[in-house]
Amino acid sequence: MFQQVPIPNETGPASKAIQTYEARIAALRDEIAANSVKLEENRKKYSGFLLACDELLTTDVTKAEAPLRFATTEQSFVAEGWVPVNEVGPLTEAINKVTGGKCFVTEIPVDSEHDSVPVEYDNPSVARPTQLIIDIYARPRYSEIDPTLLVAFIFPLFFGIILGDVGYGLMLLVVALVLRRMFKRGDGAQLVNILMIFAISAIIFGFLYSEFLGFSMGYHPLIFSRHMNIGGEGGEGAAIPGLLVLAIWIGIIQITLGRALGMINHARMDHGSHRTKAVLANLGWLLVMWGILVAIWSYFAIPYMPDLMNTPVIAAGLNLSAILGILMLVIGVIFIARENVLDVFELPTIISHVLSYARLVAVGLSSVAIAMVVNYISIGMIIEPQLENLSVVGIIIIMIGAFIFIVGHIGNAALGLIGGALQSLRLQYVEFFTKFYKGGGKKYNPFGIKRRFTEE
Amino acid sequence: MADGTMTLEMIQASQGGLKALGAGLAVGLTGIATGVAEMGIGSAAVGAVAEDKDIFGLALLLTVIPETIVIFGLVVALLLLF
Repeated sequence: MFQQVPIPNETGPASKAIQTYEARIAALRDEIAANSVKLEENRKKYSGFLLACDELLTTDVTKAEAPLRFATTEQSFVAEGWVPVNEVGPLTEAINKVTGGKCFVTEIPVDSEHDSVPVEYDNPSVARPTQLIIDIYARPRYSEIDPTLLVAFIFPLFFGIILGDVGYGLMLLVVALVLRRMFKRGDGAQLVNILMIFAISAIIFGFLYSEFLGFSMGYHPLIFSRHMNIGGEGGEGAAIPGLLVLAIWIGIIQITLGRALGMINHARMDHGSHRTKAVLANLGWLLVMWGILVAIWSYFAIPYMPDLMNTPVIAAGLNLSAILGILMLVIGVIFIARENVLDVFELPTIISHVLSYARLVAVGLSSVAIAMVVNYISIGMIIEPQLENLSVVGIIIIMIGAFIFIVGHIGNAALGLIGGALQSLRLQYVEFFTKFYKGGGKKYNPFGIKRRFTEE
Repeated sequence: MADGTMTLEMIQASQGGLKALGAGLAVGLTGIATGVAEMGIGSAAVGAVAEDKDIFGLALLLTVIPETIVIFGLVVALLLLF
């Protein structure tokens, strides 16, 4: 793009003209600055008023337009809308009061198949922050089970199992308390509440694991030890088999729960022959999982799991429990195939989903390992040798060591928060929700105004 | 090596070392494989979510499918070591 710039029609030396123009540019710049200051002042002075006016007028317009949405005759009008079930009574009373009994309010039965019913959560306040997490995945449908309450309990539990450190828990708690002052309402405040629940869960599990910034807190862990032994340094060594089996058990329980909820959901939402098939298919997935487990238990003794190796041998070297397991597996596969033959190819996901819970241990151990390495580098390698014979240079090196200690642990806490939250969230979304949760409900958006700038 | 100077301790130590090596390879290689697999899916999924926020759940599901590989690698590594 080019623009034509004509030579100004002036007389006199060029240097003088340049001077005048530069002076004018400077003057104009000053004017702009003065005007922006004025603008800012005016904004401060009037913005509240203008926003309030805008809100008020928008409300007036909406109120004035509302009759257009209703079916009206000369004497009467009909209004129709969705109201949460527990608000029907108060709303009816309010309408009767306002109109002086000149109206007729009735409740039309919900036809959940043809109506797209908007969905509003109904949860105790403890679970309310979790609604945000469910909404990220999808809002529940009207007839579906709302998993919010379950997730509100399981999500922080998994986070605690992963992070499980009193020191990091306290750090997160401080961060949450600081952020709480900044976010008073809205999604931000809910996220801060989630962070706070996380921090408390991490502290509780920190006491159970007996961990403080990777150090032992002086007593043996109440559950499985995560004090690793890195190159002869550190605690007694992590109880990996116990931790792994614990994670697998958690997986088995959560998947069983998910499938059971899936059966309830299908029973509530489906119709006709498909309903029976879908419910049985979910039962089939359960049978296959437990069948595989029983079959494994009947051949291998796994710590902290039932040992079925001693059940009587029936035939061909197969003992009773092995036959039972295989039977469950076969029946399960038949149930699955009856609903959809292609689902049979998904059978390996049973194993991968259960094993996926191993991440609860793996991610947690990695964060313990980083904490211990930070401790070893900063204290074992830098600070302790200098403390033996103090010198001026030594004090500086000790300060460097302390710096590494602080930065290392802050970084690890951030990593632990991100890793722990994402991994446990993923277990909800992928391993848990796929078993029963479809979502896709419409958000309930009530008719009315949200007052932000005006007061009644 | 075959002249009888190898003691039992040396054999055990090298066995332990090879086990650790195998465990490391199991996690490392499967980690790379998962990363490569998730690379394409992840970028496509982010693009799709940017177009339509409602499919976040499905997009996440598709993105994390290859994570199975590294989980298997992890389990193999832990089985090797313990």
